[in-house]
Amino acid sequence: MRKLMFLLIGIFMISSVCALGITPARTTLDFEADLSRSVGFEILNSGNEDMKVVFSAQGELAKYISLGDTEASISASEGSKAFSYNLNLPSELIPGLHTGEVFAMQLPSGPTSEGSQILATLAVVTQVHVYVPYPGKYASSSLTIYNANQGEEVVFVFPVVSQGEFDLTAVRASVDIYNKLNEKVDSFNTDSIAVMSGARKELAYRWKADVPIGDYLAKASLIYDEGTLNLEETFSVGSEDLELREISVSGFSLGEIAKLEMLVENKWSESISGAHVATKIMNDRGDIVSSFESATYDVDALSKKVFVSYWDTAGVRVGTYETEVSINYGDKSSKKALKFDVKKNKLTIIGLGYVISEDGGESNTLMIVLISVIVLLVLINLLWFFLFRKKFKR
Amino acid sequence: MENIMKFDLALVGVSLIALIIAVGYVSPLVIAPLDDYESSDGNVLFVIEKADTLMIDDNMEFSSPDEYNIEDGLKIDLEPGEYYWKAVGVLGSEVRTLKINSVVSLELVKVKDGFGVVNSGNVGLNVEVYDGDELVDKIKLETGDVVETDGDKIVGGAE
Repeated sequence: MRKLMFLLIGIFMISSVCALGITPARTTLDFEADLSRSVGFEILNSGNEDMKVVFSAQGELAKYISLGDTEASISASEGSKAFSYNLNLPSELIPGLHTGEVFAMQLPSGPTSEGSQILATLAVVTQVHVYVPYPGKYASSSLTIYNANQGEEVVFVFPVVSQGEFDLTAVRASVDIYNKLNEKVDSFNTDSIAVMSGARKELAYRWKADVPIGDYLAKASLIYDEGTLNLEETFSVGSEDLELREISVSGFSLGEIAKLEMLVENKWSESISGAHVATKIMNDRGDIVSSFESATYDVDALSKKVFVSYWDTAGVRVGTYETEVSINYGDKSSKKALKFDVKKNKLTIIGLGYVISEDGGESNTLMIVLISVIVLLVLINLLWFFLFRKKFKR
Repeated sequence: MENIMKFDLALVGVSLIALIIAVGYVSPLVIAPLDDYESSDGNVLFVIEKADTLMIDDNMEFSSPDEYNIEDGLKIDLEPGEYYWKAVGVLGSEVRTLKINSVVSLELVKVKDGFGVVNSGNVGLNVEVYDGDELVDKIKLETGDVVETDGDKIVGGAE
């Protein structure tokens, strides 16, 4: 009986969640000689249990970390508890990144008899990163490219961090773009920016993708006052994209199963497999009244394919329904908002080929014009008023 | 003549008031989140009126912003970090900041035959598994990932 009780307690303990958290995950500081600073952190008691936690410092900066508390108790009612440690930096450290960690380890609390013992101990770490500036001027950067469709703008972003002692007065990038055949298709230079020592700024350039759909390689030279960084990144023009071109329905009869043939175009230069179309039909309140999916299809590169969906219209009333058709493939989804105008013997699809959504642009333009007119009138009136007053005084 | 001038002055005054009202009417009304908002939950609700687009970036220059169409109940998942954001309609709103705190969190859960460890924080973790003092496994654990383990000490820190 006693053994069974221990077993039950044991099962209960294992089933229950034991949790420990710490925030922030990392504190980042710029080096200052002989800096003494208190760094705060919080222990998160997300399991809402009574617990004891012990703290310790490790890593390269451990010798500069002094812990206020080496052990603490947290009660079940405390969701979190704040602590701190002191970071006392020396007068010198070699340039670059220096790291240290403060460990918080949960100690088993309460009865520790065989049956109720927690089987593993959790420990979480808050890190401290100290950046020591390099002598002179020093930049670090990376290249992030945001893909775009053909004819649109591909955005190139260089986040530049000035890690030297002195400010960077002129940072710019020169970029060459190559196609898959390693032929240079275009080049450009960005504007120049200044980055203060220890600061981070972004150098961004919008490049119009007047090139064929496909993958490209960007080779960039980031040029700053005293050096050059070479960066490379691939990007795509014309996203891996399936587009709904047409929906045709023949022999529609309300109350029966309708066959919808959806023509889907693959605008990508490679085939796309495992795609399917999901359709949601909604009423005036936005509630889904009907939904259905096609089978999965593979679509060859730069070609079109008919996806067949079946819609059971039993119980559907005559009317116009907002409809969302989404083409799903991989982890991507391409959505289109349409309207299904349902009649007894006819289904009309409204919205393919143009945008249905309401556009607030017109009212915005009207408001801008209105404000401009008011400003202009006020100015003319003021001018007239002052001229008139001048004349009247004479 | 003086009456004309008075009338004109009144007209200018009324026009200016109309202008102020018009500008006020089209300025985005930013309700939430408040400026300097700070949270460990990266799922942030934006409540904005009289604006079309929400722009979020990690720098004040908005050099590479993420743009969202503003709609009712717009919730955006943000990675830990500090962000600048503004709403843009006919006019732009003030620039506000928000901060998502990074959280390292581990949970022990019961799995089939033993127990597993879950990354319940909001950053990817390097997890070390010890058996006694011996390091027996090193695992990279993304947010929400769970892995079965049999060590007796599990240590998690940000990647």
